[in-house]
Amino acid sequence: MSFRRPPRDEHTMKVGFVGRGGSPGVSRQVTVDVPAGDLTPWDLDTKFKTVGGRTDRLDAVAKVTGRAKYAEDMRPAGMLYGVLVRATIPDGRLEGLDLDAVRGMPGVRAAIPLKDLGNRVRWVGDPVAAIAADTLDQAYDALARVKAEYTEGDAPIDFRDHENAPALRDGVVDEPWPSQDAAKIEQALADCERTAEGTWICEVQTHSSLEPHGLVAHFQEDDSLEVWASTQAVFGVQSGLARAMGLQPAKVRVHAEFVGGGFGSKFGPDAEGVAAARLSKETGRPVRVLLSRFEEHTCAGNRPSAIMRIRAGVDADGKITAWDYQSWGGPGYAGRGGGTRGVPQWTHAAVTRNSQSDLATATDAGRSMRAPGWPQGNFATEGMLEALASEAGMDSLAFRLLNDPDPLRQMEWRIGAERFGWADRVNPTPGKPREGDAPRILRGAGLAAAFWGQMGRPGNGATCRIHQDGTVEARSGAQDIGTGMKTLMAMLTAEELGIEVAAVKVTMGDSNDPVGPGSGGSTTTPSLAPTVRHAAGLAARQLCERVADALGVAPEKVTYRDGGIDADGKRLSFREACRHVGPNPIEATGQRQRNYEGYAEHICGCQFAEVEVDTHTGVVRVTKMLAVQDCGLVLNEKLAESQVIGAMIQGLSYALHEQRVMDREVGRMLNGDFLHYKVAGPADMPELEAIMQPVANGMNNVGAAGLGEAPAVAAPAAIANAVANALGVPVRHLPITPDKVLAALAKRR
Amino acid sequence: MRDRDLREGGSRPSGFSRRSFLKGASVAAVGTGLATEALADAAPTDGLIREDGVTTVPKGALEITLRVNGEDVAVTVEPRTTLLDALRDRAGLTGTKKVCDRGACGACTLLLDGKPANSCLTLAWDAVGREITTIEGLADGENLHPVQQAFVECDALQCGFCTPGMVMSSVACLQKHATPTPEQIRHELSGNICRCGTYGRVFEAVANAAKNGGGR
Repeated sequence: MSFRRPPRDEHTMKVGFVGRGGSPGVSRQVTVDVPAGDLTPWDLDTKFKTVGGRTDRLDAVAKVTGRAKYAEDMRPAGMLYGVLVRATIPDGRLEGLDLDAVRGMPGVRAAIPLKDLGNRVRWVGDPVAAIAADTLDQAYDALARVKAEYTEGDAPIDFRDHENAPALRDGVVDEPWPSQDAAKIEQALADCERTAEGTWICEVQTHSSLEPHGLVAHFQEDDSLEVWASTQAVFGVQSGLARAMGLQPAKVRVHAEFVGGGFGSKFGPDAEGVAAARLSKETGRPVRVLLSRFEEHTCAGNRPSAIMRIRAGVDADGKITAWDYQSWGGPGYAGRGGGTRGVPQWTHAAVTRNSQSDLATATDAGRSMRAPGWPQGNFATEGMLEALASEAGMDSLAFRLLNDPDPLRQMEWRIGAERFGWADRVNPTPGKPREGDAPRILRGAGLAAAFWGQMGRPGNGATCRIHQDGTVEARSGAQDIGTGMKTLMAMLTAEELGIEVAAVKVTMGDSNDPVGPGSGGSTTTPSLAPTVRHAAGLAARQLCERVADALGVAPEKVTYRDGGIDADGKRLSFREACRHVGPNPIEATGQRQRNYEGYAEHICGCQFAEVEVDTHTGVVRVTKMLAVQDCGLVLNEKLAESQVIGAMIQGLSYALHEQRVMDREVGRMLNGDFLHYKVAGPADMPELEAIMQPVANGMNNVGAAGLGEAPAVAAPAAIANAVANALGVPVRHLPITPDKVLAALAKRR
Repeated sequence: MRDRDLREGGSRPSGFSRRSFLKGASVAAVGTGLATEALADAAPTDGLIREDGVTTVPKGALEITLRVNGEDVAVTVEPRTTLLDALRDRAGLTGTKKVCDRGACGACTLLLDGKPANSCLTLAWDAVGREITTIEGLADGENLHPVQQAFVECDALQCGFCTPGMVMSSVACLQKHATPTPEQIRHELSGNICRCGTYGRVFEAVANAAKNGGGR
């Protein structure tokens, strides 16, 4: 067998972005290598009918009427309620487990161990056994009767107590910088005109998806398994359950039509999903295991804590020329995944050194969470930029414009600053009240850059069906976790076929449909969008063939154009053409081709925040936030804005409120509920605005990038910088709670 | 505010509203009395036992009738069963969402005699004889309530899991203030948490719904 290089088409397309707000655009012609069979790529000159518009979210009606069925809502006949017995010690071994006492309790149908005696216990919450009962209350009654015994170890609970943790003095790392590769960075720092140094700390944030992790499992008599899961990865759950249960993946069918939030922690079946499947196999009944809110906070992952320190310097012009970055992550028992990152553009021209280490603790393992590592790293990075700007005697915005090499973000800084009113909102005398304010109120403004990659990948499909009644189906097995992917699929299909969005029915979240990506790293849209469009394009070609056949016209004389068909001089509307489809619908499966060598390899964006600090109480209120955000081709402006604003709000919550509080002795979370783990609510809301900046990125036939992460990178840093501008002194420890504000003010005096 | 609604309790025979209390009370009430025996003594509408001027709750599961969205719904519940669990697990009405189960997030908000209540903090028994309106009862067939319509148009939702509670609180807000100020909207919604960050859009939706007669 030999592999031939597949034939390719060279195609010239216009990429870049249109200038606005007095800033110049950037555009150029590039010649890309389009894979054989792909569609003509959309580019900067493409005129759209549907794409880029403000179509209502397709599944909004189902969601506002309560008809949308999430995994949490599934109640198959005979379903049992499963709960997990969890370790009550943070570190040690399981030495005794008595489930016999619960097996005869009212309603209890099964009790199975999940650990063997002698197994390691790694955090308070480590699953030890599982129980299924007729009602949830009965399951909890049984849970209270389980007797488990442990021998206890002494692993640390807080990463600051780890033996390799850096010494902290007054919140600042107090130990020498690493000796490895020191000569070059020391020299670069010595050559700087001015330098600054600081330490930044972040606490653990929990994902707090509103729908809990877990699934409803139904093990059938033919040894197949059907599940309804709350997941960001339909196919990850399928393969994970198949492996855990010793089944062929084809025997596992996963449904996730609606998913109640996913921010990076819902990629596999996890312990609760496997327990549900095992309990179902044991009882022959459907079993649901969905976590309680306390379990959500303590057993379903989190954004790790971090300590970061930076020393950096600028030359006489204010350009950053040296950057030394060291961080320690606190990712829980897994002991890895705590790395932090800052936007790389700032240090592109500097001599840099990065070092990172993780400090394991006897706590729930960290998981990826919306731009993993970046909000932490960018909080530190942007804090350092403020320190350097101050050293250089420059305004924050001017310092960014001087050091940011990206023409797209250059324009975004300018658009944003103008719209936000940067010059008027930044406090020219940090730490002093603005004119007209009460003396106890300090106001200030801050800004920060956004950044993310365009990481759409090949390796998935999508189906397009055209029926004889003129309706169209778009199907992908991937999930819509609230980003609006279903809506985008309908819009892309409608655009390619030139028909109304309403004619397209979208199905997502069924593992029997074509493979789609897991929703992580902002990859769903860039992976699926070109695939969905490709499927529609292939279906249109088939429609032409059927029309040619039916009319007895040579196939080459039939072409698809503007939502209809030209057949040898005769014009058929889409609906007219569909009458020739016959009882068997057209079905085409689109492929996700590789990315072209495109124009833009990352997405930019920036955010501005204004805060008001009450110096008597230490309470910070964000009063205004603005984002300017690109994401390649903006497929639906309304939904894109929603997602950006959502990231800003989540960032506000991380910056000011969210913090897992642990008992450092017993390892139990002290605020594992929504009463004491504070998530930003309606009363915390500032005025919010998102401006979308379209870009033709030349990456594939659509050119859309994902939008989940980039805006989440900027928000906490922008708010922290605004607080520093108000107070005249930074608070370098998230969340910026009143106690820290008051301490900073006290130190300033 | 919702706590006060729950505590006041109107003319209901029992005033308790906390599960932990009732759980204890049920054990102390009629001891080992079988549910069927208890049923014989119970008032037909609520299953409560009234003897010598003392009202007690029988142990075990009993059938009660709830008035939900204008229809009588029979559900079998234990004294400790919350209204939320009764609706979701027994009546198959899963539109009302369980998120925190502690009255901290508002996802389970419904209307009890027209006032917003956290159904996770309300016992099913305490809802007997009261008018319960859930998210499923808001639209008139395919005609959405003005608040629902405004949520769709303003994209006041993402994952949608907080949405039923958010919609119900918004409806309650407009019943209280036909043309609410931005501050009133924030205040009335301040018991509802959204993780995707849709608050800004929700405020817009409530204001738009007010213009379209959502408060009627």
